[in-house]
Amino acid sequence: MAAPSMKQRQVCWGARDEYWKCLDENLEDASQCKKLRSSFESSCPQQWIKYFDKRRDYLKFKEKFEAGQFEPSETTAKS
Amino acid sequence: MLLLTRSPTAWHRLSQLKPPVLPGTLGGQALHLRSWLLSRKGPAETGGQGQPQGPGLRTRLLITALFGAGLSGAWLALRAEKERLQQQKRTEALRQAAVGQGDFHLLDHRGQARCKADFRGQWVLMYFGFTHCPDICPDELEKLVQVVRQLEAEPGLPPVQPVFVTVDPERDDVEAMARYVQDFHPRLLGLTGSTEQVAQASHSYRVYYSAGPKDEDQDYIVDHSIAIYLLNPDGLFTDYYGRSRSAEQISDSVRRHMAAFRSVLS
Repeated sequence: MAAPSMKQRQVCWGARDEYWKCLDENLEDASQCKKLRSSFESSCPQQWIKYFDKRRDYLKFKEKFEAGQFEPSETTAKS
Repeated sequence: MLLLTRSPTAWHRLSQLKPPVLPGTLGGQALHLRSWLLSRKGPAETGGQGQPQGPGLRTRLLITALFGAGLSGAWLALRAEKERLQQQKRTEALRQAAVGQGDFHLLDHRGQARCKADFRGQWVLMYFGFTHCPDICPDELEKLVQVVRQLEAEPGLPPVQPVFVTVDPERDDVEAMARYVQDFHPRLLGLTGSTEQVAQASHSYRVYYSAGPKDEDQDYIVDHSIAIYLLNPDGLFTDYYGRSRSAEQISDSVRRHMAAFRSVLS
């Protein structure tokens, strides 16, 4: 399978950004962004979708952590 | 400085006229005394003590001064020689590193064999990644070619060769590299090779990479270290730039390295 071209990459990133923006606006409620999710899924390779989902989790965590809002869970705090 | 701070002691000694102390004094002090004696008639010659004591004070001072000057001259010469030897050793080590360190044997995106020596005389900005990379590699390569464009636009600067080396030789063959590099810069050179060749090249630049699990499409993500490397025209690894560095910061750094560069080869 050939790697996406620059054009395909840009289409994929665009769809990703739309979907992420929707999640931001709907407080992470994915059910409000189903249409954008399917457009995101059809614009990017499957492997990239998994990667970007993880990446968003990470970026969200980083945002929280840097804002000082991160609280370790009970189990983490005890260990 | 030494002369000025020490001189009061010398004056004191002279007025007390204790010649046995004088030969032990530093060359600098003796010189100072001598110039003082030449400009004025010293107490030694007025015969304050009456008795002549072998060679006159003037002669003794002169000998001390010459001896001192000889010693410091020899010391300076020895130090210069030591520095020269150290510099020579360092240049030799750099020369060996320039040829041996970070060598690679890969194919460019036109199918031509390339090794490090082919880039001799050129500044090289090098990035390791893979063509199926979701976001980081394209971002970093975009940044790399932006640096090249910035430097290209400045007259008087030597050209910089942008190079992209794959860490995914399984999928990134010559054709895949050719398709990929054309999107970034007309001079961006893609390098690939056998699994062993790529492993060897990455290893010599301390680049870590590890392919992730394959999905049903046989697709996978390769985890790898992210850094842009700068090689000087001798082929020596000169600097590296992590993700947080902007294109402007990298350009500034490359400019500084260009200004400071002196070849150890030839």
